[in-house]
Amino acid sequence: MFSIWELILQQLVNGLILGSFYALVALGYSMVYGIIKLLNFAHGDIYMTGAFVCLSVFAALGNIVSGWTGIILSILVAMLISGILGYIVQRVAYRPLLGAPRLSLLITAIGVSLVIYNTVMVMTNSQPMFFTSGLDNAAGIRIGSILITYIQLVLLAMSGVFMLALNFFIGRTMAGKAMRAIALDQDTSRLMGINVNRVIGMTFVLGSSLAAVAGGMACVYYGNVQYNMGYTIGIKAFTSAVIGGIGSIPGAMLGGILLGLLEAMGTQFLGSQWKDVFAFGLLILILIFRPNGLLGKTEIERM
Amino acid sequence: MGLIDKLDNKVSKTIGSLALLLVMVLLPLRVDNYVQNVLWNAMFYMLLALGLNVIVGYCGLCDLGYAAKFAIGAYTTGVLMKSFSWNFWLTLPVSMLISAITAAIVGGATLKLRSDYLAIVTLGFAEIVRISVRNMSITGSASGLIAISRPSLFGIRLTRITHWYYVFLVLVLMFIFITYRIRHSRFGRALTYIREDEDAAQAMGINTTKYKLYAYIIGAVLGGITGSFYAVKMTNISPTSFDFTQSANILLAVILGGMGKIPGVIVGAAFFAIFPELFRDIPIIGEMRMLFFGILLIVVMITRPQGLWPERKQRM
Amino acid sequence: MALVEVNNLSMRFSGIVAVEDLSFEIEEGSITSLIGPNGAGKTSVFNCMTGFYKASSGDIIFDGQSLINLKPYSITEKGIIRTFQNVRLFKNLTAMENVMSGVHRVTNQSIFGALLRHPKQRREEEKIRETAEFFMNYVGIYDKKDILAKNLSYGDQRRTEWARALSASPKLLLLDEPAAGLNREEKESLVELIHSFRDSYGITVFFIEHDMELVMKASEKVIVVNFGKKIAQGTPNEVQNNPLVVEAYLGS
Repeated sequence: MFSIWELILQQLVNGLILGSFYALVALGYSMVYGIIKLLNFAHGDIYMTGAFVCLSVFAALGNIVSGWTGIILSILVAMLISGILGYIVQRVAYRPLLGAPRLSLLITAIGVSLVIYNTVMVMTNSQPMFFTSGLDNAAGIRIGSILITYIQLVLLAMSGVFMLALNFFIGRTMAGKAMRAIALDQDTSRLMGINVNRVIGMTFVLGSSLAAVAGGMACVYYGNVQYNMGYTIGIKAFTSAVIGGIGSIPGAMLGGILLGLLEAMGTQFLGSQWKDVFAFGLLILILIFRPNGLLGKTEIERM
Repeated sequence: MGLIDKLDNKVSKTIGSLALLLVMVLLPLRVDNYVQNVLWNAMFYMLLALGLNVIVGYCGLCDLGYAAKFAIGAYTTGVLMKSFSWNFWLTLPVSMLISAITAAIVGGATLKLRSDYLAIVTLGFAEIVRISVRNMSITGSASGLIAISRPSLFGIRLTRITHWYYVFLVLVLMFIFITYRIRHSRFGRALTYIREDEDAAQAMGINTTKYKLYAYIIGAVLGGITGSFYAVKMTNISPTSFDFTQSANILLAVILGGMGKIPGVIVGAAFFAIFPELFRDIPIIGEMRMLFFGILLIVVMITRPQGLWPERKQRM
Repeated sequence: MALVEVNNLSMRFSGIVAVEDLSFEIEEGSITSLIGPNGAGKTSVFNCMTGFYKASSGDIIFDGQSLINLKPYSITEKGIIRTFQNVRLFKNLTAMENVMSGVHRVTNQSIFGALLRHPKQRREEEKIRETAEFFMNYVGIYDKKDILAKNLSYGDQRRTEWARALSASPKLLLLDEPAAGLNREEKESLVELIHSFRDSYGITVFFIEHDMELVMKASEKVIVVNFGKKIAQGTPNEVQNNPLVVEAYLGS
């Protein structure tokens, strides 16, 4: 029998993993929203594409490298391809509309989402694909009657590394500074000699590759990928971004982890069929009581 | 353009609309049940699109969960009839009321915020509704409600497709009438001002939060009515009829048809209902349909954000 | 009695002080202008007066009531109507529909009126049209009433904005750089228009302007701000000869 504390510990680990998926995807939402005020509806589909690329590369590598080396290589390739996809989407669909009303931009994003989603659906015949990592699912650390696997620990470490790297990039490099400057004031940034279009493109590349990391991790963790896997995680990652304060990088991380934990606990105590209700209900409550999120600042729009 | 031309234009428009209406009224005499059902389906989409048009087209709010609004109507009617043996016509006001209340809660919470938050909240709310009806026994869980009884009108029990064809034709005309009158009034103009420029609308004394909420509630109530009729037409309703694809279809019909323009919205809805039927037997196109719509949506937004319906002619 | 009293108004956002401890009065029925170099905080004053910005401290009294913490629409309801520096028309609507939005403030038909179209509603709809047409005629754009706002020339867009503001029958009209982008002739007629707003309709006018000739011709009182602070006020003549003002504009 599990004791209540063991259950909570188990869900804590599950929640952290889930939360790191949300956080990685939420970062892309938050960066893009921060910089061009677009709710990038297609972001969940980029995550899904990343998962498929990772799976295909890993399968192709099968005879050469396997295990974690193979997984990490596959994730790197997935990051590259998703990054390129994110850039193309931005260049083709969003850039022509940067001056247009925000509703048009949002609707275009829905269009992009439909295109990616349905392309993958047709290509995979609506069937899930399975990922066999060959890793030992039973190896790990035992605490009482619960098991924390090495896979879980490596995935957590991996997401931590990527988030720290992003934080460093945004906080310490010129390109990161340019991103923050554009988020504050696009016109002034342009006057200051920042190549605004290039920085926006870079933001999409970064966000999309982080989503691909989450997609690759999902391959390993769940063992299967399907064309519709991006839809729910897309909404939940957005929820995370809003909880943390949209536009805020640490906020997206915090929001993702929080939502993951809350959802894991909700599943434990309310039943898994209600877990999505729990997440979306939380979104609505946050918007009512703290619309700027936990770490977001109130903004005054200049007219 | 002179007065005669203008008058001419108006007369020809009226004649055109009347002729179309006459064709629609007489059509069931000539075509079989299959065609009538396809046309019924088209009218069903028109009702949804006309309702959503108040929210998206008039007021410029992005609602990604319109399916939830007609799910609420359909399930209210379904539950009241199945579990409480209500008469269909009595369930209508209840369904309108519940639609209005839920819209007031969701809208009240989010409409004062940045407008794109509404998109994600409506999406989340639609999921809440879908998951709730799938997991509650009163709504029949995953299998939904089956064998909802058919209502009667003027002593006729509405069982044949032709009956429903005419019921929905009348509904479409009513919805056109309602939304047309809304558009051409102080109230409806206030909504379009908000769509065009929210700050300027505020500066003209429009309480934008209040008006957005009204638009949202009106759209929800129209969706609720449609859902109620849908429930008794189909007699079976299940959670799968109200998923995101459904919401996306309605939204696409409104946007591609031409946001805010009633004829455009109607043509858009008809297109979305009839197009899949035309390609039903060619499997690959059936599957690629949404892909094609996605591309169309991007192209339209970039090249003609006002939708495919032509701009009204204006004097220069 | 002063129609508007601004007392110790300050407005800061993220470290930048846009308005600092500013006080002034606007007499009822006067034509007052607000001038100052670029970035002096003039538009911020307007935005505070119309509720688009929240003042950090201080008070704005209009007609004996404080405007602090009111939303823009309720300030409009009280009778302060503004135009925007960069013309904010409803672009995809006709000039006529744009001007009709002004009448919103002085009418009250609701959704039920829209659906029922009872006689009272029809009369009000008629009134909305007549008012809008009257003011379009007044500013000289009646013949362009069916053109979409985005297709109007710049000068006509400005006129449409004035007509829109006038049809809201303001007590106080705030014009943010009304002459920007207008040609010489249009500026001349603007001076006349501003005077006739006041003389024919008793509207108090308060405007921001960079064109000194227009300021001198049109206004009775000038308030000069620099770095968010008031540095001078008085008649156009007094202000013109004030060394502080000269310094602010030319630099020392």
